[in-house]
Amino acid sequence: MRTWYFSEMAYHPAWEKGLARGSLRVNFPSENVDPEVAGKLLNRYLDEFALCDEAGIDIMVNEHHSTATCMTISAPMALAVIARETKKSRLLSLGNPIANRPDPVRVAEEMAWLDCLSGGRLEMGLVKGAPYEIAPANSNPARLMRRYWEAHDLILKALSTTTGPFNWEGEYYHYRNVNIWPRPIQQPTPPVWMTGMSVDTGIMAAERGHVVGTLLSGGTAKPMYDAYRKRARELGWEAGPDRFAYAAIIGVGHTTDEGLRRADIIAEYVRTAPVVAEPFTNPPGYNSIAANTMILKGGPRANRFVSDRHGEPINHRTASVQQFMDTETVFAGTPDEVFEQIKTFNARMGGVGHLLFFGQGGLLTHQDAMENIRLFGKEVAPRLLELNAPARAAAE
Amino acid sequence: MSSPITVAGVTLDIQEAGRGRPMLFLHPGEGMQPNRPWIEALARNHRVIAPHHPGFGNSSLPDWFGTVDDIAYLYLDLAKQLDLKDAVLVGACFGGWIAAEMAVRDTRRFAGLVLSAPLGIKVGGVLDRDITDMHSIPRAEFLRLAWANPENGTVDYASLPDTELAAIARARESLALFGWKPYMHNPRLKRWLHRIDISAHLIWGDSDGIVSTSYGEAWQAEIPGATMTVVPRAGHYPHWEQPDAFAAAVTKFTREL
Repeated sequence: MRTWYFSEMAYHPAWEKGLARGSLRVNFPSENVDPEVAGKLLNRYLDEFALCDEAGIDIMVNEHHSTATCMTISAPMALAVIARETKKSRLLSLGNPIANRPDPVRVAEEMAWLDCLSGGRLEMGLVKGAPYEIAPANSNPARLMRRYWEAHDLILKALSTTTGPFNWEGEYYHYRNVNIWPRPIQQPTPPVWMTGMSVDTGIMAAERGHVVGTLLSGGTAKPMYDAYRKRARELGWEAGPDRFAYAAIIGVGHTTDEGLRRADIIAEYVRTAPVVAEPFTNPPGYNSIAANTMILKGGPRANRFVSDRHGEPINHRTASVQQFMDTETVFAGTPDEVFEQIKTFNARMGGVGHLLFFGQGGLLTHQDAMENIRLFGKEVAPRLLELNAPARAAAE
Repeated sequence: MSSPITVAGVTLDIQEAGRGRPMLFLHPGEGMQPNRPWIEALARNHRVIAPHHPGFGNSSLPDWFGTVDDIAYLYLDLAKQLDLKDAVLVGACFGGWIAAEMAVRDTRRFAGLVLSAPLGIKVGGVLDRDITDMHSIPRAEFLRLAWANPENGTVDYASLPDTELAAIARARESLALFGWKPYMHNPRLKRWLHRIDISAHLIWGDSDGIVSTSYGEAWQAEIPGATMTVVPRAGHYPHWEQPDAFAAAVTKFTREL
């Protein structure tokens, strides 16, 4: 199991005001951000990313928009900085919300450029994006996945075509001369990742052999991984652990209490980040008709962001670190304890090849964040590399 | 009475009632809803033909179909297939936008056009919201703006069968498909309204918080000879909230055609 550190580069100083307004996203005015403070925080967060290179772990970056929960508004921009500050870590963009991007060829160009800059260290996530990303992009939520797949196909073709230009006359995108310079080092394309929370996503990712990741909830992860493995088998191949990723909050310390304390502070992110004004939580078409029928019937499930291993939602606003550990949202304690928790989780999931290490929610001090990364990199990550090793060999 | 008709490969679920001059009634973005007092009111003097738009009710929505232009051509084909003559074309809210798109193209089968609080045109500047952003406000706020008395528009979803709820979810998705961007309008439509060469009448609720009466006056200025009735104690859906007053205004107009 490889470890990928990530942080949302949150603007936590505005959280209290956002919570008081009932929304940290979309309609939370930017007068609530002090740009000087934002700049200092961004530099601090980037230092935390850079440390991963010496700590021997990989790096993941994501993006969100119009929000106090995440100041990374462009995954490629953040990775451009990080690529220059690191030498060994692989760099995962997870990712570009491609159905919200008007210009997929530009996405392909940026990915190729990053792959060149980093010496072929890029891993490329192409994601659907969260429901509250629809409004800032003003993208149409109806037929979102149809647009996603057209953008996906175009991006992969743009990255892998070396004898262009080619033309593209699709339903959503139109080009007459696609011919990107430079082209990526990794051919035909850097490894492709997707994210999801549903069985359908597992099946669609399996059909293309992409890595699929999910976050913060063992209850939704397992059915998706199982669906992926089943579909792969139907298609005549065996999906190894390296096709699966899982994001969790991780706090390690020299004592159990220290690890729990760090995890508890990082978990403030999960207690805060899903708070968003009602109209932006479920734009029409984003969720399936079946899911929306259930929502109409029962009213929006306010706490559906995190669910336990049976898929039942827990109250993320008030959950204790122990409750989050029960839902596999959090792994915390000493390095030995954290390793054991992840090992157990890995076995229950049937083998997960990538751990997305959420190690900074915003409120963790720089010192704690650095120590969390160092300790994990030294004491836990090397042991995780041994997990699934036989299974991985068998898959190859 | 409900029956399916296939037009241009699209299966339309059509409600029909009454006898008299044919009336093609195009429903709002909220759909037809289970409770339809306006159909009976209009059916007293007209043969009402009310299709569920593609993706609404049991009407199909093929993959290739996806714009208001598509709906306009589809309903022009429907009028031909039903061999409508001297019909009246009525559109409410989103249905008004469709009716206007039809009327600027071809009015041969229609003697009159009624637009009830239509969406569809851009009047103000780039920073003006001519049409309330119904998708950026909570449902309760939407009801408050769309109804003179919001209780009239409240639906007890928990009491509806799953099939009805699925139809509502599907209709909301379809409305987004047709009207998300540009939001509920066609930036070019206003420039072509002068082509409407049949009698036209506008109906507006006096308490409409989705599109104001001044937006209605902009429509009136663009359609040659258009007249307007303002219905008291009605919001964005006068046909729904004041069905008798709405039917009276429509009947007065159609009698003079």
